[in-house]
Amino acid sequence: MKQRLNLSVLMRSKVTWAVVAEVLILIVCLIVRPDFFSISYQPSTGMLYGNLIDIVNRSSEITIIAMGMTLVIALGGTDLSVGALVAVAGAIALKFLRWDVTVYNTPGDYTVYPFFLVLVVPLLVCIVMGLFNGFLIARWDMQPIIATLILMVCGRGIAQILTNGKQFTTGYSPFRVIGQGSFLFLPMPIIITAVVVILVSLFVRKTAFGTFVESVGINRKASRLSGINAQLIIFIVFALTGFLSGISGLIYSSRIMSNDSNNAGLNFEMDAILAVVIGGTSMTGGKFSLLGTVLGSIIIRTIVTLVYYFGIASEATMAFKAVIIAVVIVLQSEPVRNYFSKRAASRAKLANGGVK
Amino acid sequence: MPDNNILEMRQIEIQFPGVKALDKVDFSLRAGEIHSLLGENGAGKSTLIKCLTGVHHKDGGTIILNGREIQPQSPQNAIELGISTVYQEVNLCPNLTVAENIFVGRQPMKFGQIDWRTINSRARELMRRFHLDIDVSRPLSYYSTAVQQMVSIARAVDIQAKILILDEPTSSLDDNEVKLLFQVMRDLRAEGMGIIFITHFLDQVYAVSDRLTILRNGHLVGTYNIEDISKVELVTQMVGKDMDTIFNLKRVDVDKDAPYVLTASHIGIPGQVEDISINLRKGELMGFAGLLGSGRTETAEMLFGATKTANGEIELNGKKTEIRKPYDALMHGMAFCPEDRKVDGIIGDLSIRENIALAVQARRGFMHPLSRKEQNDLADKYIKALGIATPDAEKKIGELSGGNQQKVILARWMATDPNVLILDEPTRGIDIGAKAEIQRLMLEMCEKGVSVIFISSELDEIIRCSNRIVVMRDREKVAETDGANCTQEKILAIIAEGAQGAGGTKS
Amino acid sequence: MMSDNRNSSGRSLISSILNPKFIMVYATVGIFLVIYLFGVVAYGSKGFTTLRTFTNLFVDNAYYGISAVGMTMVLITGGIDLSVGAVASLTGMFIAYGTAVLGLNPWVCIAFSLVVGVGLGLLMGWVIHYLNVPPFITTLTGMFLARGVCALISRESIEIKNETIDALASWKLYFMYLKDGEWTRIRPSAFVNFNVILFLVVLAVGIYLLQRTRFGRNIYAIGGNEQSAKLMGLPVGRTKVLVYGFNGLCSVLAGIAYALYVKSGWNLSLQGAELDVITCAVIGGTLLTGGEGYMIGTLFGVLLKSMIPALITFNGNLLSWWGKIATGLLLLLFICIQKIVVSSTERRNSKSKKAAKNKA
Repeated sequence: MKQRLNLSVLMRSKVTWAVVAEVLILIVCLIVRPDFFSISYQPSTGMLYGNLIDIVNRSSEITIIAMGMTLVIALGGTDLSVGALVAVAGAIALKFLRWDVTVYNTPGDYTVYPFFLVLVVPLLVCIVMGLFNGFLIARWDMQPIIATLILMVCGRGIAQILTNGKQFTTGYSPFRVIGQGSFLFLPMPIIITAVVVILVSLFVRKTAFGTFVESVGINRKASRLSGINAQLIIFIVFALTGFLSGISGLIYSSRIMSNDSNNAGLNFEMDAILAVVIGGTSMTGGKFSLLGTVLGSIIIRTIVTLVYYFGIASEATMAFKAVIIAVVIVLQSEPVRNYFSKRAASRAKLANGGVK
Repeated sequence: MPDNNILEMRQIEIQFPGVKALDKVDFSLRAGEIHSLLGENGAGKSTLIKCLTGVHHKDGGTIILNGREIQPQSPQNAIELGISTVYQEVNLCPNLTVAENIFVGRQPMKFGQIDWRTINSRARELMRRFHLDIDVSRPLSYYSTAVQQMVSIARAVDIQAKILILDEPTSSLDDNEVKLLFQVMRDLRAEGMGIIFITHFLDQVYAVSDRLTILRNGHLVGTYNIEDISKVELVTQMVGKDMDTIFNLKRVDVDKDAPYVLTASHIGIPGQVEDISINLRKGELMGFAGLLGSGRTETAEMLFGATKTANGEIELNGKKTEIRKPYDALMHGMAFCPEDRKVDGIIGDLSIRENIALAVQARRGFMHPLSRKEQNDLADKYIKALGIATPDAEKKIGELSGGNQQKVILARWMATDPNVLILDEPTRGIDIGAKAEIQRLMLEMCEKGVSVIFISSELDEIIRCSNRIVVMRDREKVAETDGANCTQEKILAIIAEGAQGAGGTKS
Repeated sequence: MMSDNRNSSGRSLISSILNPKFIMVYATVGIFLVIYLFGVVAYGSKGFTTLRTFTNLFVDNAYYGISAVGMTMVLITGGIDLSVGAVASLTGMFIAYGTAVLGLNPWVCIAFSLVVGVGLGLLMGWVIHYLNVPPFITTLTGMFLARGVCALISRESIEIKNETIDALASWKLYFMYLKDGEWTRIRPSAFVNFNVILFLVVLAVGIYLLQRTRFGRNIYAIGGNEQSAKLMGLPVGRTKVLVYGFNGLCSVLAGIAYALYVKSGWNLSLQGAELDVITCAVIGGTLLTGGEGYMIGTLFGVLLKSMIPALITFNGNLLSWWGKIATGLLLLLFICIQKIVVSSTERRNSKSKKAAKNKA
């Protein structure tokens, strides 16, 4: 009976459904491609290759942003500007990866500015933009969705102005490492993502920050009256999200070794929000699950990979993504979960009665 | 007994997860009577009403309206059946105009269009009936809570229902408004309407009702004619135990030479409260009396930094201190239980443990977290000390009853070991048993040397517990008296005197 | 006796004009006039003042306007719909693919689009209300679905070559004046086309629904306080589902207008249009929290937003991405005004509430 009751608790947990969905999709993958789980080692690059690694690698950008987005959503908001910030970070990085045109006339392994500027300046700018969001929300009490809409609309324009509307390319190898290098046999983005996930989790759960975020997300006024500096919490969360968008932008532009103000980070805000919601964090704010978010992001990527296998055009993956996401979200929705947990409970009752 | 019941509810049962909210309750209502429904919080009054209005669905029993069995499915359905309701919180739309709030969903139409002219003129007429001469084409949010409450009553009345349910409609009304409401209720009774009236104020029950029904813990205690039951009997029936606990409470004497912990001189915010000065001794309990809106809450919020003080200064332990935000107050050993516990107090989705640890954690800053063990110890200690009724510390605070929520908030602040504790209406809307316990806790704190500011609308509470009483009126402090030889009449006289004066100058 | 100092006697035209609920609409109109005047002063010599410039604001942005009407309703309920751009794009795809590849009658394509668009809208509304899934997520999924289906149909841009469509697209109503007993086109010629008429009709329907029907008033009530609306016995579920259905209808009509405007269907057309449409509504004074918003405000929001690219074109030196930044700044400006208006009315209200309380 105890097991049955646990089952009903599990049925009510949103993360459970995310795990179930991921396992089901992986099983379908396995049926379509029996060698789906195989991983091979390529000595020439010193990296492991395989579908699973590819899925995690390709989900890096979204996972990193979604870490911040989880906290934003836990505060009861949404950050629409992350995609634009990805474009801004890429534009600034590539702006600093200039070379002396009098010496070389093709892109190559050179840069005039020191490499740390290439890394630090985009991240700083993204933090500042995150703080701008935070300022509008914490100080002016704006709705997050509107406040971040401003930078979402402006952001790509700013990226265009910074690069004068041009698309730069580079061949600078230290920059290439970020998106295409490897460490411990794994692609670098996976390593970066793992570090980000661990650091954010530690920061949130080993300090009281997570509790404060939940508290402010549930009831900002009561939190303030309990002595929590709600404004500070909001500032930190939005600055962190900006910073993470910057990291994501660097990875993205390092993969293509170029900037693309129009398409870099396009729809990232949507994917990140989806990842968070699929991961079981409610859009109304409050309790959140970072692990669920990582899972959500991987689910989204797994769907895309699965659809490739059916030989369907990449743009059309959206339709399948939509269908699977719809199923997950409907399963997670309150009435459906209540229905299942009630059924599980009544079955448990029946079993109990039978014993008696 | 004449049997002209328009409504009969028989053997109503409602099951919530884990509890039986209503257990075989009978209730009947006659045409042309005002029937009060009484009971402590959690007794099942609201559940019974919500079953009738289609918000909850009954698990057993029958409802018979005018001889026909009904199954209200939704509030909309209930209204169609002729049951109209005014809820405790104003349940109207703040963005719509007054007129529209009265007519939305049943607007008079003309040529396939809403007839705005008729709506406005009929609304104006209706508001006149309530002696309100206001611009009905303004958004509802433009007016005070009292006016809003009257509008929602007007809507309920205009639906021309057979049954009108008033669920604590008087909590935001002042005496004159309550009298007006009673007049309207009597008029409606004369027209043959059946009225169900829920209130916490026993005087009001006696002032207006014909019969009353008492519920306790989801069970029916009984239905009585108003002349057949005395107030004492009534309270005993509601609580289910005698009231000795309350009457045994005695104020704690304070040392006349105890040092001042909190001194506020001439603090105020122009337009809200002005020129408030108080001195609070160590271990003293200072009561704040006054009508709703007299500036009591504003003063408390200023002292705690919830709103920024514009003028004057505050001294803590003899040192001038600036308190700009609640965090500053917290760091100076102050604590504040706000008036509206649901909106400003509890963090609904967090557990009891997290709610209790919140202020302590806020004082330490988020980089120095309390360990899980420390949190558990805190929670266990206060659950025990305050007698919070819960299976364990991990239950969400939102799922507790009002009294227990208030205790958790009290625990949150007791855990910070404050010097000054400000309690704004800590006993409002909770049942008598819990009230007594909270007063006992408050007095215990005083004994330990904590200074307490106690705000309440119930004068007997204030007089019973306070060493000194500050009387507020018209956003000013008008008097300060010794608690020991003060009577209810004396305070009422001070308040009334001012009310007449103010009324005379302003109307 | 209770009485309120802001009452009675002067219940005149002036007081209804000064009703605080219209302030945001006035702000939109005011800013529109300021920017228009700026255009007149700066580019008057280049022909900014002509009627043609003004009518082109309508001609070039009618599809935004049509969509914004539906979006305004959704926003007033406190919801959001991110699927509008994708559904409009899908409509264009249906028409292009249906006429050019399948050789169907365009009316059949349009009818099919209407069924799909309205159906999707109703379905999303149902999921939002009855399954309690946040509108943001529901309509985002709807957007992915519509975009994906677009790409499934074709990934190439398909040109629309069809007599009926051509006739509709090229129909123009020129502004004329009487000269020597003969109707002559004004110079430079200014006209309205089918899209503009469609926009104005949809707008009129929107105004009628919102202001003159119970359905419309229920929308406001739900946006004001959904729980209250339910307790007041209003049909909350039905209204919400219908609002999303109506917005689906508007998306399809916007898609038709866009197809007429560019005469092609492409799976990536109108990307990000949903946020442009939301921006129009917000600039027009609609609150994203729900409960506030007027169609007239939305009309001016659309005009304001479409004036930015017009001004950039007239300037001639500025690059087009300044438009994005200007739109963002406009949004910021507008939100600031909203903030000031809301907080000042709140302050006044709380003061008067206190006063009223104290009178007792």
